[in-house]
Amino acid sequence: MKRLLGLLILFTVVIGLALYLSLPTQENLRSLGEFYLKNSYFGNYSAKSPEVVTSILWDYRGVDTLFETSVFFLAIIGSLTIFRVEMKKKERGEAKSSLPLPVPVVTKFIATLLLAISASIALHGQVTPGGGFQGGAALAVAPLLIIAAYSKYALENNGLDKTKAIVLRSIGLLGIVLIALAPLLSGGYAMQNQPIFPAEALGVPLGGSLVYYNIFEFLAVGAGFTAVFLLLAIPEEEFKGKGGAYE
Amino acid sequence: MSEILFYLGAFMIIIGGICDIFGAIGLLRFPNFYIRLHAATVGTIGGAVIPLFGTSLLALGADFLPHKYAIAGASFVTGVIVLLAAPAGATALAYATHKAKLVKWEPKVDDLAEVRRND
Repeated sequence: MKRLLGLLILFTVVIGLALYLSLPTQENLRSLGEFYLKNSYFGNYSAKSPEVVTSILWDYRGVDTLFETSVFFLAIIGSLTIFRVEMKKKERGEAKSSLPLPVPVVTKFIATLLLAISASIALHGQVTPGGGFQGGAALAVAPLLIIAAYSKYALENNGLDKTKAIVLRSIGLLGIVLIALAPLLSGGYAMQNQPIFPAEALGVPLGGSLVYYNIFEFLAVGAGFTAVFLLLAIPEEEFKGKGGAYE
Repeated sequence: MSEILFYLGAFMIIIGGICDIFGAIGLLRFPNFYIRLHAATVGTIGGAVIPLFGTSLLALGADFLPHKYAIAGASFVTGVIVLLAAPAGATALAYATHKAKLVKWEPKVDDLAEVRRND
């Protein structure tokens, strides 16, 4: 009863505050919104991409997104530095699942499906909602599932270890920077899109540089998350004997 | 034809709603972890997979819908994925809990123990 009373009071306060603070409705379009609506797809400044969110993210506010990406990569680098573990031991553990049979079988199936789904999210980013970051985040779920169902050795024995993930991530980041700087070679400005990159190929709208940004972001985000997951999955025994930083 | 698909799809979505309610009640009222896991699986299989298949039938029957095959296919594939993933997840949870001895194991019927006793 006491809890119910508290809940009732909280509910009343929240509703009252919402009524009190309710914002005045916007009557007219702001000039910036009007500009985006008029120009993002049809106008002279268009990125020639039907997906307005992606074109605003990577085209109108491209520098903003570039810096956001750098912040994300700094965060990944920071966590990699915290987990600096010297892997001297060469023999690796067994990559067998100890879970009952349905779990590893379904994991195999879903991890394969996830690769296709995440690639489609990333490659469709200039046509439908989605994009590089979302696709990369979906991609990173596949190694996470494999780590949970088997172990991290299942990934490492098949050639995807921490170093490789970091290399892939660096390739993605380098690709983004190169695409951003490429227009400078032909007399444009940095991150310029339309006259430099083709708007469509074989009847598929590419959105100029948007598709390349999405592909590299996909690679970089997926590999970055994978590297962090691999580090988080290190069993405790492996670096207990080596003497951690606190000993 | 499209009316049959509509009613079949709508019926499956209603079944999904009922299963979700039963799953939620079971999750609140069942006595221990393992039986609650059963209620949760009722909520995912009955409450998500069947309505997704129903949505797919409904979309196939709706002639006015643009991209109706895309919607039907997407919901069918999503349903199949959930149908595969939910039992695997429940199995993993139950196995891990039993192995780590986190929850008291008090079965009403233990077939394995009976078989062992009879041997």
